[in-house]
Amino acid sequence: MNIVMRKLIAKELYVNRWFIAGGSAAGVASALIATLGKTGFNVGSLTWLTTIIATGVMIALYGIMNERKENSLQFVLSLPLSIADYVHAKLLGLLACFGIMWLLSSAAALLLVFLKADIPDGIAPYTVLLCVFMLANFVVVLCGALHALSEAMTSAIIIVTNMGVSVFMFTVAPMPGINKHMWAAAPVWNSTFWTVFACEIAVMAIAFALPFIFAARRRDFL
Amino acid sequence: MTSNHIEMRGVRKTYRFFTLDDLSLDLAPGEVMGFVGPNGAGKSTTLRLALGLISPDAGEIRVMGHAMPDGQAAAKRDIGYVSGDMRLLPHATLGWHMDFVKSIYPEWDGGYAATLIKRFNLRTEQNARSLSLGEHVKATLLLALARRPRLLILDEPTTGLDPVARHEVISEFMDVLRDDRRSILFSSHNTVDVERISDRITFIDRGRVVDSSNKEDFLERWRRIHVQLPPGATLPTLPNIVGRVDDGQFITLTTNQFSDGLMALIGSHARDVQRMNLEEIFVANVMHHREARGQ
Repeated sequence: MNIVMRKLIAKELYVNRWFIAGGSAAGVASALIATLGKTGFNVGSLTWLTTIIATGVMIALYGIMNERKENSLQFVLSLPLSIADYVHAKLLGLLACFGIMWLLSSAAALLLVFLKADIPDGIAPYTVLLCVFMLANFVVVLCGALHALSEAMTSAIIIVTNMGVSVFMFTVAPMPGINKHMWAAAPVWNSTFWTVFACEIAVMAIAFALPFIFAARRRDFL
Repeated sequence: MTSNHIEMRGVRKTYRFFTLDDLSLDLAPGEVMGFVGPNGAGKSTTLRLALGLISPDAGEIRVMGHAMPDGQAAAKRDIGYVSGDMRLLPHATLGWHMDFVKSIYPEWDGGYAATLIKRFNLRTEQNARSLSLGEHVKATLLLALARRPRLLILDEPTTGLDPVARHEVISEFMDVLRDDRRSILFSSHNTVDVERISDRITFIDRGRVVDSSNKEDFLERWRRIHVQLPPGATLPTLPNIVGRVDDGQFITLTTNQFSDGLMALIGSHARDVQRMNLEEIFVANVMHHREARGQ
């Protein structure tokens, strides 16, 4: 990685600092709210999910579409870097921005599961799958936004991935291998867990590869 | 390989409703080329091709010795690019931008940057979002100039600026020109700005270069000749006449090759010969080529 790419990644962290700070604070706060009884758990879970989704969308939209729309992309591309350098730095930079918030929010959720006595540890595998799904969801939005040239296409990707969260919850939670152990005292890391986990990693790997194959090789970038 | 800062040969770039066709262009070190054309003529497309931000469909482009667009990362080390519609990152201050560019370019001249900050009346703590259009152009110019590039590519940098801001920006370009190893490719549809700083001028219209020459050469070659014919008299066939307007016995001729020979042919019918400014030359040139192409 050359110095310009490193500087661009640092630039993303600086430019998105308020999204990272705000999203992380809201994610951790949501986990804390979830400790306040049943209503608190429902409200906290919902705000936790919303925080992660919204922060991811904001980071992707602001970092890619707005840069293009507000013509600051011209400034960035005037620097000594290739289109491929730009795409790689943008992917890694925005992934780092989201990753900080995601790590803190996911860690808070898992700590809540393991430390709170009235929440069974058996829900931990599902929580991990949900957290990884949220990361995969962001990677799809990010890579889609880098690939799409229009705001309409990016919006479509965001809508579809948001719907994907509901689909995930309604599909994975009822799976016997997950559902059966969800309220158990100890987590069960069975084959169902690892299969879903592998699918999530595969989705991320495929989504992550697409900009390297297509956007980074694009001959016209403005 | 020659030492030209920019070399374009037979470049073509096709969009759905526009084609830049058979573009050839050379920019030597120390040269300032004004790239003049109406809106939508292909100026920005040409400059973006030179920067490697878009790729030609045909032809060859070399900038600072690097084949474009593949060599753009290396070429852009020596290029300062400013565009009238370029914007800085909205949630960062000018000071942050200066530090950012400085960290990438070891040639960054802090003293010169400080001078430009004062000269342009900018403040480093200003957030980019709060900059006016004129301040934005000056800020991007500062960031481009303080890295001491050997080639400046300027895409309509003075468009939309008030006369004072325009004067400040153009004056800074003139300062840059004191270093004769630097070259500038300066696009604009404002011929006054171009006339002030350019030593070579290229006219482009509807995706084609219509003329390219030294500024002085343009100004020397082009004339408007007012002729008054007595009743019944006619003018002989005249060479190099690109425009003719008849108004009864009065005829206005525009030539792109003014010479004593031409005046001898017109003879005593000539009433007045006027020099043309660059804007008049530009308009006459473009209209002549459109007529020649049947457009």
